[in-house]
Amino acid sequence: MSRLEEIINIANHIPPFPKVAMQVMKMLEDPKVLPKELAEVIQYDSAITANLLKTCNAAYFGLSRKVSSLDEALVLMGQDTLKDILIASSSARFYKGKVGDGYQLEQGDLWKHSVATAIMARSISPHFKGVEPGTAFTAGLLHDIGKRFLSSFVASDFQKIMDRTYIDGLSFLEAEHEILGMDHAELGSRILQKWEFSEEMIQAVRLHHDPLALTKDPLTALVAMANTLVISIGIGVGADGLSGAMQGDGLKRFGITGPDLERCMSNLLLEMERAEEMMSLSN
Amino acid sequence: MKVIIGISDMKIATKPDEELVTYSLGSCIGVALWDPVVKVGALLHYMLPDSSIDKDKAEQKPFMFADTGVPRMFKEIYKHGAVKERMKVYIVGGAQVMDDSGMFNIGKRNQMIIRKMFWKNNVTVTKEDVGGSVNRTITLNVGTGNVKLKISGQGEVEL
Repeated sequence: MSRLEEIINIANHIPPFPKVAMQVMKMLEDPKVLPKELAEVIQYDSAITANLLKTCNAAYFGLSRKVSSLDEALVLMGQDTLKDILIASSSARFYKGKVGDGYQLEQGDLWKHSVATAIMARSISPHFKGVEPGTAFTAGLLHDIGKRFLSSFVASDFQKIMDRTYIDGLSFLEAEHEILGMDHAELGSRILQKWEFSEEMIQAVRLHHDPLALTKDPLTALVAMANTLVISIGIGVGADGLSGAMQGDGLKRFGITGPDLERCMSNLLLEMERAEEMMSLSN
Repeated sequence: MKVIIGISDMKIATKPDEELVTYSLGSCIGVALWDPVVKVGALLHYMLPDSSIDKDKAEQKPFMFADTGVPRMFKEIYKHGAVKERMKVYIVGGAQVMDDSGMFNIGKRNQMIIRKMFWKNNVTVTKEDVGGSVNRTITLNVGTGNVKLKISGQGEVEL
């Protein structure tokens, strides 16, 4: 088997995204669904249940008293919050351990970067008409899932990729593609396809480093903007650094200005302080 | 002993066995000051050039912005006996993604504002490593004044 086949195989044989999360997401499409009905499904996934209670009680979600039962948590929690926690606690299991080694990321950094991008994505979603905040959060959280699985292959050809990036001026992603035959954005989109996420989400992940991403679909533009800002701040950034281009003028059609970008950056920092509980989910 | 400075923070150290370090400077800028006589060091990690975008944030976190953070840093280090004329001054960071439209040129704006402030106040930069597209970490040894620069994926060098 060639190395490229080996990489493609990863996407084809990826463990499923937790079934309970997918099922509950589907149930939430029905506006009349009852918290009790949701609890009956969720209780079968102990990790999600525990994380729901833990995260629900964390400051970030702003509930005023401690919650101890799943039923109660679901009654108190808004649906958007429930979706965020479902997705975060289902995704966290894929980010445990030294998953970003090949990118010279420390343990926990890839998750931290992902959570920061998710929070940024959700908070900028009002600028992007038609993008639901929960969808923005999920896409932000999973945009770099490809790195998780490409990391060991990047490690084996690290110096070549670095030379193509910092000597020859390619973006790190282009160098991955040239040398490995696959880049982390494409691998990520294949994984999301396997997990049966929506077409717009798959595209947003595939194009998150495309220099013209900001001229594409609203969700694609949103994820690219969130990721670019989080990388600029330096949260969970490895050897790929700030390499590559992103044509910022695409943001004009969303009415976003330079000072808006700076405000988003300064807001994120305070929101991150409140999201500590979510950060610990991958530990 | 390592003293870590987070994003939008500044710390001063006076013990010779202390090392001030700030990680993962992207478009943010790290400013290190060291006085060789009183052997006091300071390290700032600011994120944005100009606090006028959000005055409340600047009140809460003055070290988030160059225009509020840098003057405050100098005031703090003077309290420990440091003198402007003999201080070593280092700046690193200010990287950015390529963007012809200038929307994402926060790194460059972060560099420009500190140069302007230093020019106005007669502060000379001893050494710098700014711009490009790399992610940087800077360490200042308070006892020796030694400054190390680590570029992600490329190892550590003396600045």
